Amino acid sequence: MGPEISQFLAGMRKTMEQVVLPNLSDRFAQEQAGIVTATLAFLEQVHDKVFHYELLEHHLYQRLLGQTLDLLSVPEVTDPEIVETLAAIQRQLTEDPPGGDIHLYRYDRLRAGNESMKELLCALIRLQPALPDAVRTALGDLLQPFFRDLERRERSWVKPLGFDAQADQLPDIAELLYCNDRLQLPGDGRP
Amino acid sequence: MTGPRTPTEGLRHRPTEAWIAAQRARFPVEPTIDEVFTHKLRKRMAAVEHSLDFSGLDARLQEFLAAQTGQSDLRIEALERLSGGASKEQFSFWLHWRPEGAERPVRQRMMLRMDPTEAIVETHRRREWEVLGAVHGQVPVPEVQWLDPEGRALGRPALIAGFLEGTVRPPGADRMSGVGMYFAPELRAALKDEFVAILARIHNLDWRRCTLPSFAEPEPGTTQAVDWTLGLWERAWHEDTLDAHPIMERAALWLHEHRPVVARPVLVHGDYRSGNFMYDDRLRINAIFDWELAYLGDYHDDLAWASLPLFGCADEQGTPLASGLLPVEEFLQQYERVSGNPVDRERLRYYQVLSYYKISVIAVATSLRIAHGRRTHLDAMMNFAAGLGYIGISELNRLLDRI
Repeated sequence: MGPEISQFLAGMRKTMEQVVLPNLSDRFAQEQAGIVTATLAFLEQVHDKVFHYELLEHHLYQRLLGQTLDLLSVPEVTDPEIVETLAAIQRQLTEDPPGGDIHLYRYDRLRAGNESMKELLCALIRLQPALPDAVRTALGDLLQPFFRDLERRERSWVKPLGFDAQADQLPDIAELLYCNDRLQLPGDGRP
Repeated sequence: MTGPRTPTEGLRHRPTEAWIAAQRARFPVEPTIDEVFTHKLRKRMAAVEHSLDFSGLDARLQEFLAAQTGQSDLRIEALERLSGGASKEQFSFWLHWRPEGAERPVRQRMMLRMDPTEAIVETHRRREWEVLGAVHGQVPVPEVQWLDPEGRALGRPALIAGFLEGTVRPPGADRMSGVGMYFAPELRAALKDEFVAILARIHNLDWRRCTLPSFAEPEPGTTQAVDWTLGLWERAWHEDTLDAHPIMERAALWLHEHRPVVARPVLVHGDYRSGNFMYDDRLRINAIFDWELAYLGDYHDDLAWASLPLFGCADEQGTPLASGLLPVEEFLQQYERVSGNPVDRERLRYYQVLSYYKISVIAVATSLRIAHGRRTHLDAMMNFAAGLGYIGISELNRLLDRI
């Protein structure tokens, strides 16, 4: 199979930069062509990491939801909406269990699973005021490192788009995903 | 392009009347905001791709203006699309006509500002029209001339104003929509005082004496002003986002639980920053643009937005500048001095969180939504804007961790 996607993208970007952009006279067209060119440069950086990015997210959301279930499945938690959401999380984790074979499925299926888990987590966050104080604090402590990793990962992902004034302090997305060229899934028991 | 992945996502893609009713009940907003948001969702049921073809617009424009002015012999020429901006489609044209009271016909350059099929911020052209009319003469703004609020004549809602000459982007500033714009020291020195003074004038305007029928008046001494603006941004998030996001949920909850009372609502510009003002050859600010997000609320909202690090840049020594013009602390102190409005740092912090929430809604939810539906003249830019949005979410989370 060829050419590689990266080769397609690099060829298009070069054409935009050296043929199309210098010959545009309309300012609106110049502006938009500049964005297309910059987007191609971004895609060159990330296109081969998309599946692994989503696979890592899948692993992390599954792990977090499992921990959340353990934390909140206690007698003090009685709010009906929370109890219902916890049951939905349990169903999700039963249908798509940790350590399963999601990596063998199509990308769309992986994304759909991630979106379902995000929606469940968001529902729980919204319902936090109905938790007993001590349980809410414990949930906050569980979520905080997850949030930090999430925003750092997303920020590294969009770094090649060029908006970030702190770009030089951010790791490249490959550094967050891989160690020794292998996807790192925290807590999977592998080195 | 993939279809919906969850039932909630399916409803966002193809809203039902029941789901629209649920959104309206869940998020309190001003009546005119409810009107545009509801209209947006109903339009979404018809999957219409936005076309950039504007042939035929000049004829419609001519017919509209002839009807508005009663001058069947007026003439339009050189209708052309303008670059810059991220929200509305903008065009300039030359109009041959006789303004009221003029003895002879004139040739005047005009600007047409028109909604795309779906915009990065859904706003009401009538509100923008009213507020531009209200501040004209007190704040430098283009003079509004005509309004097609529902787009019955021009195809989409639009307003027409006099065209002003000047510079929005200083030399070398090529960032999208004024974000991170750099002004050289001599420009900063010339513009910064006026930037603060105009903001003070906006906030001290006696809006009760203005004609602003599309603006709901929040009850002083209550959280109603915040309820409405938070309702707007939350509703936009939940109607537009392509992905649920736990940090956005965290922020929304915090914003709800910490809503401040607004003792004395003022006119808030809603998007006061670099990229939304223009200066002339004498280095005087001659226009403030983008009033579409104006509302009656807390002046700290504009202060937080104008000094958001995301929109500014650092000076040559690395000091962060509000809107690229002056150090943040100097901006706040000068504002206090000029306006007489005290800056409450705790309240400012609330609006900083709200500001990051807003920019994240705009650049992660709405921009990606309209690009997904191919509903705008700037689909490529709207996808690209995600780069800004995820920085916004990151900064939002870091700010919440520090509070």
